[in-house]
Amino acid sequence: MTNFMRLEIQLFAHKKGQGSTKNGRDSIAKRLGAKAADGEYVSGGSILYRQRGTKIYPGHNVGIGSDDTVYAKIAGYVKFERVGRDRKQVSVYPEKQEA
Amino acid sequence: MIRIVIENKEKPESIVVEGHAGYGVSGTDIVCASVSSILITTINAMLRVDENSIRYVQKEAYVKLEIITHSTMIDLLMENMISLLEELEQDYKKYVKINKEVYL
Repeated sequence: MTNFMRLEIQLFAHKKGQGSTKNGRDSIAKRLGAKAADGEYVSGGSILYRQRGTKIYPGHNVGIGSDDTVYAKIAGYVKFERVGRDRKQVSVYPEKQEA
Repeated sequence: MIRIVIENKEKPESIVVEGHAGYGVSGTDIVCASVSSILITTINAMLRVDENSIRYVQKEAYVKLEIITHSTMIDLLMENMISLLEELEQDYKKYVKINKEVYL
């Protein structure tokens, strides 16, 4: 019985899943998010929130950097506040605020 | 890249074809399909002419064909295969590389 070759026309091709992938890259994690908790005492200049765009707006005694980082202008107690229907801001007050 | 080595004395004696073309993933690699078709068509034709005139080994992305008994038809089929592979190499240099080794 002659041992003919089967017409396997992808004999010399990368099998699926073997081929090189164009993925496999990722940027370094930027550790965004809150850096101070509500009610926490912070010193002046402390970073309160790292973000891309303004998820959290600067409130009283709080500034915003060019990379949208929000920071305390004075030492005091952190307060996350809701403004209007869907906007949030963070403020720093010299005295602790009631909830 | 598919690497092809042809061993010659007066005439081609054997051919080894190995590697991945890398032109595309399985099912889309037209260079691989061409090489496979040329090779398999030739080997099966040689077996139909005289199954004892050749010996071949097939593994994953590897085929070796050796001529045991030369004849006009067998040599013609080998020559035809080599010229087709050379033509393919011209058009797809990045994916097919032919080396000829001559043993006197």
